[in-house]
Amino acid sequence: MSAAAIRLACHLIQEHFGEIVEKVCRFLLENGSSQLRVVVKRTNIQLSQVKKALCVLISHGIVAFESTKVGVVEYTANINHCLLLARYPRFIYSAKTLYGDAGELIVEELLRGGQMLMSMVVERVTERLRRAVEGSQKVEPSLARGKFIQLVEARFVQRVPDMPDPTKEEPSPSSDIPKDEAVLYKLPSFVHDIGTPRGKRKREDKDDEQGQKAKRSRTDSSGETEYYIDEDIFWQVNLDRFHQYLRDQEIVNAVSRSCDKLGSEIVRTMLRMSELTTDKLANATAPMSFHEILRALPGNLNLDRNSLEQYLKVLTEDQTRIVSKVAEAGGGMYIVGILFVDLKEGSVAVCLSCIQSVVQERFGSKSHRIFKLLVLKKYLEQRQIESFALIPAKEAKDLLYQMFAEGYISVQELSKAPDHAPSRTYYPFFINLRQVAQKQQDRCFKSLANLIARRKYEMNENKRLLEKAQRVEVIANSFRSSGADESHIAEIEEMITPSEQELLKLNKARMAKLETSELQLDEMMFTLENFLIYQQSSISADSKKAKGTTSNR
Amino acid sequence: MAETSVTVKQEMPDEAETGSSSGSYVEKRILEICHQDAKGVSDSALQIHLPNVDVQEKVKAINSLLSKGQIDLVQGSNNQLLYKIKDTQKQVDLRGSDNQERLVYQIIKEAGNKGIWIRDIRRGCGLAPPPLNKILKKLENRKVIKAIKSVGDSKKKVYMLFELEPDRSVTGGAWYSDQDFDAEFVNVLNQTCFKFLQEKMEAASKLDVDPLLKLNRSYASPEEVWKYIQELGLLSNGVNLGVDDIETILNTLIYDGKVEMTVSVNKSEQKGRTKMFRAIQPLTEPAGIMRIPCGVCPVFDNCYEGGAVSPSTCIYMKEWMDY
Ligand code: SF4
Repeated sequence: MSAAAIRLACHLIQEHFGEIVEKVCRFLLENGSSQLRVVVKRTNIQLSQVKKALCVLISHGIVAFESTKVGVVEYTANINHCLLLARYPRFIYSAKTLYGDAGELIVEELLRGGQMLMSMVVERVTERLRRAVEGSQKVEPSLARGKFIQLVEARFVQRVPDMPDPTKEEPSPSSDIPKDEAVLYKLPSFVHDIGTPRGKRKREDKDDEQGQKAKRSRTDSSGETEYYIDEDIFWQVNLDRFHQYLRDQEIVNAVSRSCDKLGSEIVRTMLRMSELTTDKLANATAPMSFHEILRALPGNLNLDRNSLEQYLKVLTEDQTRIVSKVAEAGGGMYIVGILFVDLKEGSVAVCLSCIQSVVQERFGSKSHRIFKLLVLKKYLEQRQIESFALIPAKEAKDLLYQMFAEGYISVQELSKAPDHAPSRTYYPFFINLRQVAQKQQDRCFKSLANLIARRKYEMNENKRLLEKAQRVEVIANSFRSSGADESHIAEIEEMITPSEQELLKLNKARMAKLETSELQLDEMMFTLENFLIYQQSSISADSKKAKGTTSNR
Repeated sequence: MAETSVTVKQEMPDEAETGSSSGSYVEKRILEICHQDAKGVSDSALQIHLPNVDVQEKVKAINSLLSKGQIDLVQGSNNQLLYKIKDTQKQVDLRGSDNQERLVYQIIKEAGNKGIWIRDIRRGCGLAPPPLNKILKKLENRKVIKAIKSVGDSKKKVYMLFELEPDRSVTGGAWYSDQDFDAEFVNVLNQTCFKFLQEKMEAASKLDVDPLLKLNRSYASPEEVWKYIQELGLLSNGVNLGVDDIETILNTLIYDGKVEMTVSVNKSEQKGRTKMFRAIQPLTEPAGIMRIPCGVCPVFDNCYEGGAVSPSTCIYMKEWMDY
């Protein structure tokens, strides 16, 4: 992993977990697997603190441990998992769109805590909800629990795979990887009793408080296993599932741009239909029939059989090739196409479009034309490029070599004769998309780190002022709630001078801008990452032709 | 092609008089048949045209024609042997010229309508520059060959036979005026074509019809675009653009990522397939990295914390944040 990635990872870790954890993680990232002893010695941090730091990292899935043959335990940090910290806001936001405020808070709590007991999450979320709604209406824990169950059922939240308790000091190596995925999403049976709205909620309400629950469940249900429900089952956010969701979202957006809103809704439906059955690395969703799609469409779309048929035809003829037809099967009087969404094509198309926009902005529209031309035609000599793109020779040469110098396009040496004599050798240009994507990814890492660094710097610059503002606000609030005089409050608020007000406003605007950009950057990183994953999976099949998987039109 | 065969025909009496005075009727017939098809005539085709000539006689006639150099035996596309009339122009044009001239002529002729550079002629004939220049001048004056400025390189002249129409790679086609690429012209056309397609797409998306019909309505054929361009009167300077030129422009729009193309098969029967173009939108928003200063930063690689350029002190960031 590149230095830029490590730098970014450290920034992120520091933001989320503080200095000490950052130091430990940085050490692991830079030095690879290490023993606890070594970490302590080299980082000059107290043993107990290193342990705590490792604990945090492990529970967030950033650090893994393994005992080597000689019986010493080594800790390894996974940089990709560090980088995911940048995506947390998007996960939380997705949960909000899908499951409302409670869903948002559950995911937030779980992400912050890493691995948590269900009761803990439910309790905290309920607490926060209550505070947010200001007591106007008592929020029942069952609301949060219901959402929690929904999240588990949709596989956004999963059990922590069986592992020895990470907080133990000398963990034995983990041997049993869950055999069956479904196990991860199995809800303890008692949860349904009290969790679902139409369950025995009424009766359960009073006893629902923390602490009593475990006891209750023991008495309530006959099986042995239920006893462990709350004691031992830790839950965590299933990041893969969120990734899948975000990727689907990306594809749906792409379709809505290339087709229209209704078309994208159809694709969304298709993706949703298969979201639990499709492997996260699969190139395409499982095939589904016309009737299945028709049945699964949300009612408010008002699509009848006829227009769906037409839409599907439009979608399959679309240049993005995101929807394809695998077979025609006669179903009654209708010809039924078996359709699927080509996730790989989708990712590639989206990634390509993203990279093209980079080329466009960076080098201008003429270069963009050359770039796309090369994407479509794969290998071209300079002369051919000139005549296809209608760009005069001199300009084309300039543009080509500019892009070549920055690694956006590559040159292949093709010799007619084995002696590679210059007169019989051609140097066609082509695009190694994988290489370009990797480069862009690296640039993203660095840029994101820059943004975060800047944000921290801005915070630090105005630290005193920000703290003051906060104090003032707290005091004013407490006065207000105690029913103090308006003039009194105003007096306190005036402790911040107008020029300071100005500065605060400016600072706030800057922060907002930096944060939005961080999210946008992460979106791009996600696109590239997806593409690279798909490339990786197909690279074994044909490593040499990897660059041109996009188009065979 | 047609031109050449006509000239050849005119020379026929002349040729027949000198070359094949002793030639039989069969030989004449074979020559005639070969004249009709400049690409060459296969043996079986010859047989059809000469129904009542016996094989022996035919073989004899062909052999004699071959030996006199009036026809050639060439290999056709499907490995068939073809009899082909030999181009007799050479002797005609160059009567009274010496061997060197003939050689130079031959070299230029072989280059076809792509032309040949003087250096390459010299390499081919081995003549020193002064005599070669003299020969070229002479041929040029007699309107046997001509010199054309190539678009690739303004200083480079290429020679080709006088009657040939220079290849597009030499003149550059419609996009060149006086051997200079007319970038402005191309740009204007590119934008105009896109505007046309975009308007068409917008009009189609407003229609309240079936999605499929809507899609089809947003497509335009190159002919339609061509007509639109013609009617606009953009081409005042006497440039004659063909439909295929418009197609080239439309292709550049594809590479710009603004237009997509499909091949529609159902059109009128005799044409078979037509290309159809339609305006599209990019699949994604502009990439995230391009919306922050680092994406276009000239000192990106030199920027690190604690360095001369660092994110904390970066002026690009500052300007951008307060923008
Ligand atoms: S922080 Fe400033 S100097 Fe550094 S890469 Fe970004 S724009 Fe350039």
